[in-house]
Amino acid sequence: MSNESYNPFAIAQTQFDKVAEMLDLDQATRDLLRNPLREYHFSIPVALDDGEIKIFKGYRIQHNDARGPAKGGLRFHPEETADTVRALSMWMSWKTAVADLPLGGAQGGVICDPHNLSDSEQERLCRGWVRQVFNFIGPEIDIPDPDLMTNPKHMLWMLDEYEVLAGKKAPGSFAGKPVGMGGSMGRAEATGYGVVINIHEALKELNLSPANTTASIQGFGNVSQFAIELFNQMGGTVISVSSWNQTDNDSYTFRKESGVQLDELRSVTDSFGGINKEKAIDLGYEVLTGDAWIEQEVDILIPAAIGNQINKDNVGRISDRVKIIAEGANGPTTPEADTVINERNIFVIPDFLANAGGVTSSYFEQVQSNMNYYWEKEEVLSKLDVKLRSAFISISDFAKDNNLTMRDAAFVISIDRVAKACHDRGWV
Amino acid sequence: MSDNKPLDKIIVELRERAKELNCLYTVQELLNITHNLNKEICEKIIEAIPPGFQYPDICVVKIVCPNGEFQSKEFIETPWVLKANIYVQDEMVGNIQVYYTEERPFIDEGPFLKEERRLIDNIVERIGLQIMHFQLKNVFEKQKLSDQKSEWWVVLEMLKQTDPQLLLRLSRKMVNYLCWNGVHEADSLMDRFNPIVKSAGGKFLSEVNKPYKKQADNNGINLSYEIFELAAKHLDEQQILEIIQKWTKEDKSGFLTEVLENSGSTLSNISSAIERYHHLIPNMIVLSEPRERSLKVALIRRVLTDQSDFIEIAKDYIEIDSFNELLHRTIYPSKSHGRLGGKSAGLFLAKHILSDSSDESESLKNIKTPKTWYLTSDGLLNFMSHNNLEDIMEQKYKESGRVRQEYPYIIQVFKNSSFSPEIVKGLLMALEDFGNVPLVVRSSSLLEDRIGAVFAGKYKSLFIANQGGKEERLSELMDAIAEVYASTFGPEAINYRVQNNLIDYHEEMGIMIQEVVGAKAGPYFFPSFAGVAFSRNEYRWSKRIKPEDGLVRIVPGLGTRAVDRLSNDYPLLISPGQPGLGINVTIDEIIRYSPKYIDVINLETGTFETIEIDLLLKRYGREYPAISRVVSVLKQNHIQPARPLGMNFGKDSFVVNFEGLIKRTSFLKEIRQMLSILEKKYGHPVDIEFAHNGKDLYILQCRSQSYRAQSRPAVIPADINKTNILFSADKYISNGTISGIEYVVYIDPVEYGNLTDKSHMLEIANTVGLLNDKLPLKKYILVGPGRWGSRGDIRLGVSVTFSEINKTALLIEIAKKRRNYVPDLSFGTHFFQDMVEANIKYMPLYPDDTSTFNEDTLNSSKNILPDIIPEAKNLQNVIKVIQVSDNNTKELNVYMNADRGQAVGIIENL
Repeated sequence: MSNESYNPFAIAQTQFDKVAEMLDLDQATRDLLRNPLREYHFSIPVALDDGEIKIFKGYRIQHNDARGPAKGGLRFHPEETADTVRALSMWMSWKTAVADLPLGGAQGGVICDPHNLSDSEQERLCRGWVRQVFNFIGPEIDIPDPDLMTNPKHMLWMLDEYEVLAGKKAPGSFAGKPVGMGGSMGRAEATGYGVVINIHEALKELNLSPANTTASIQGFGNVSQFAIELFNQMGGTVISVSSWNQTDNDSYTFRKESGVQLDELRSVTDSFGGINKEKAIDLGYEVLTGDAWIEQEVDILIPAAIGNQINKDNVGRISDRVKIIAEGANGPTTPEADTVINERNIFVIPDFLANAGGVTSSYFEQVQSNMNYYWEKEEVLSKLDVKLRSAFISISDFAKDNNLTMRDAAFVISIDRVAKACHDRGWV
Repeated sequence: MSDNKPLDKIIVELRERAKELNCLYTVQELLNITHNLNKEICEKIIEAIPPGFQYPDICVVKIVCPNGEFQSKEFIETPWVLKANIYVQDEMVGNIQVYYTEERPFIDEGPFLKEERRLIDNIVERIGLQIMHFQLKNVFEKQKLSDQKSEWWVVLEMLKQTDPQLLLRLSRKMVNYLCWNGVHEADSLMDRFNPIVKSAGGKFLSEVNKPYKKQADNNGINLSYEIFELAAKHLDEQQILEIIQKWTKEDKSGFLTEVLENSGSTLSNISSAIERYHHLIPNMIVLSEPRERSLKVALIRRVLTDQSDFIEIAKDYIEIDSFNELLHRTIYPSKSHGRLGGKSAGLFLAKHILSDSSDESESLKNIKTPKTWYLTSDGLLNFMSHNNLEDIMEQKYKESGRVRQEYPYIIQVFKNSSFSPEIVKGLLMALEDFGNVPLVVRSSSLLEDRIGAVFAGKYKSLFIANQGGKEERLSELMDAIAEVYASTFGPEAINYRVQNNLIDYHEEMGIMIQEVVGAKAGPYFFPSFAGVAFSRNEYRWSKRIKPEDGLVRIVPGLGTRAVDRLSNDYPLLISPGQPGLGINVTIDEIIRYSPKYIDVINLETGTFETIEIDLLLKRYGREYPAISRVVSVLKQNHIQPARPLGMNFGKDSFVVNFEGLIKRTSFLKEIRQMLSILEKKYGHPVDIEFAHNGKDLYILQCRSQSYRAQSRPAVIPADINKTNILFSADKYISNGTISGIEYVVYIDPVEYGNLTDKSHMLEIANTVGLLNDKLPLKKYILVGPGRWGSRGDIRLGVSVTFSEINKTALLIEIAKKRRNYVPDLSFGTHFFQDMVEANIKYMPLYPDDTSTFNEDTLNSSKNILPDIIPEAKNLQNVIKVIQVSDNNTKELNVYMNADRGQAVGIIENL
């Protein structure tokens, strides 16, 4: 994008600069972490089905690998730019660090529109991408994940090409694979469960028992469905969820004071989390307006839909009873609303931390692939539980010790961890 | 229909037909044994005839022929007789008499059926031919023995005795033949032969058969000898004989010519003539190429359609004899002059083109057409006059408001009216032939499916389950036909005709009754998949797709969901020329835009239903025909191919993506071949409807896809002054130029989005319809948010019908980001073909992306909505009507270039 007012990399650098100042990082560390360690820009020739050769521009940018092999998404997008990839690679470094995973951050992509490519052309593109970076990725170097417009299908093509070039099996070289083909159990549950594991820890800090708490959730996708599952298991009650209605092109809040029953609601929900309004009414749900979820008399709010949902216009409608806001979605709270929430002393679990279950399960996939030994779902979920609880505790302690909000603490701690690793390695 | 009598009668009649045919075949076999009609053969024929009659036990026969008189053993003459004369070359040489020895109830001709009359006529005709052959043979043989005169001389001698008329016709042909071949001596013979020719200025008159009867005198006969003597100088013996033989055989097709060229002959006459022809070919009758051609054209014109474009193509592919079967399945009023209509004609032609081309492509051999019965176009008139409904004919001249208002009433009146007995009889035969399979009743009007005029969805097609007792099935069928008839007077159809200057054409409605292609799963009946295929793709979701790559819209189940417009569901769109380039790529897209519903016929309730495909699969997935070709297995974020074995319908999730069909069968290749052959033979783009029952692919319909010359890529002007650009776009651009736009009608997306009351949104749609009436045709463009023509949730876009926007030149949909979400555009799918037909262009604008839309220009211009429709003043914050120039100095021109993927709307000075 030529639009100069919005450059994601510049934004990421500004964010970093702010924390660097707080941490009083030395100039060399700042210079190192402000920019990626390594960037690979390359051309991928692909023979199209009709014989024409087209050259695609590909990237792999490794922001930092001081804490371990780099990890991050691989995107196919027609408007991909190097700066977007740089920004995302930097965010990946912080994201793996906040969950305290032994990983670094990277991101990659190809400038292309898959809508213009047949399956076989996409396959050749994937294989071409691997051939260009074969020496710079791998289980011990950098592990790509599916991202925008890529999915497990692409990962398997890439994995296959990688293994051919390597002359050996290396299932840990790519993540996001389907179960049975090097994928991990529990991946679907991980993010939603992670949100609730964080909530559980927060409740402990507030001296509340989950059994006596109620929650209202925005969205009924994968994250919220598993969040409800675990929250119910812990004894809590979700009284309302909102959901986008594709036919009406509007969202509604579905409320049941006695508690949302996950299975019955799932039975009237499409694969995009759209709840069928009429059938929900038949099941005894009240249908309220889409934004009614925010004003419910509950202890916990979980925005788990899309960004910018809690803003200066509706932040005032949050009930006095609300004690915790757990950000299941990315960036659901605007900065203005964030200020109000902090003033009201509501405990915020920032998105960074709340949805760390995703990246953690991806790390578990890698670990299992490297061993070529796959855990049962219970084992994955119990390891997730341990990992996320300790991540929460260290951030929460850090926040208390340094009088920071959870959001600031999460950000500071992750940058601090990366900076320390660079230091300990003697780089800076 | 208070009892079962008519149906029992039908069964009796069918049995009679079978007996009659048996009789005819037996006689034919006997005649094949020897050419001489001797005593033995005659006696055998006498034995063979009674079994063909209704009362064989009391039936006796007498044959009088040149070889003598023969009769049944216990022959007596009674008053109940059916007699037919034997003619040889128009000369009576004998007869056959069939008597009933006891009295029986009177039917058609005394106690005899009219079919029995046909049978006996047929028999004497064959005997006549036989006698003639025998005579000819004798003459030739005698000639050979004597070896004095040329063989042709003997033939002439014989003809002189037996059929002087034929001799004259042959002579006439010969003299013409000689003249054309440059034999100058023939000229003088010609003049003498027919002085009228000379008096008419030496020009040849056209057909020759008729006037000769007047001149059949000895002079003519004598001249014949001169003509053939002259011929003998230029042709050898063998040639002359061959010519005589050929012309004699051709001469026998006279009956066909007579029936077909006579505009007074009814369909029933035509049907009999074709049947007679069917029994005479291939040995007894030969047609010259021009004769055959002219007969074909006459037949196509009488039975199928009088459109010359259609005839031009059809005459190369349809054989005369193929009408025999067609007419056996055609129901018509007595004295019918009707035709089958566009849809029936289109399918009939496509079927013949494809079978003709099956040499080019092996796979086309397997493509089938469903069993079909036809009701001729004058069935509608017959129906209306039978019920005294002629007044309704005037409907088309009433104003559109009244047409709309009165339509529901017309439907009710039609459904409560009855059919004439001959039609009921025909429908019963059809039902008997179909059995208990679901049927679809389709319109096939004379105006429908004409080249360049596609009545897409204007007339109804109705599905019926056709289950239960005979009466129930009949009444259901009649009900459906009445409803299809009524749709002729519906507002959409009449409006379309006004639009296309077809209103004064005489509209008649033929009906096709087609077996529904499909299979049973649980209580439901439906095809594995069905859809529509276009040989030209007007959609472009990738720059790499060219129009000639074609387009297929496929849905699971009945094709209604592919043909009709959907508001809450999506058919799979695929371009057979570029099957790899799907519209949807990410898993999310693939799932979101996959069909979620399926149209089926519920055999238990007898109703047409739309059900969720998920529910259908859960309960009856195992019975779904060829299910592994229709769906793939969805595992979280991964799509895996479905296999016929190992599918767990209770547990697994599925997505309808036709992956198996596309990747593991030659379906797309076949469709592409079919489209390309049909397009080539038609000489212009076509579209077809198809369905697959899990085993075979059926073609259900074929017609012209309209395609116009104005759709060429525009040259986009260079150096445009930016301030003059109203909008520009670079995605999904089609080709074309629209010039001279005077008005812009703009529905403000933000204001429209702020409407909270459904009635206000409907008011917007109505006002757009009013503007459409008031603004000059093709001089305005329509710009609005989201999906034009939304049906379900009208917040997605203005809920107009096609008739409310049909005068616009360009339809623009704006995908303006709302919150974090860019609305899906309809891409005109609500009325895709209507737009193509009406040459309305479509353009999507993504103002948050790289498209531009100059809202400032619009907002700073005067909104003339209140001037045009004063009562809509309160809507002027939502609807803005801008005049491009109030003093006619400027106009808006739109240039679209698909190859460059660019389009721009510029305000230019005149």
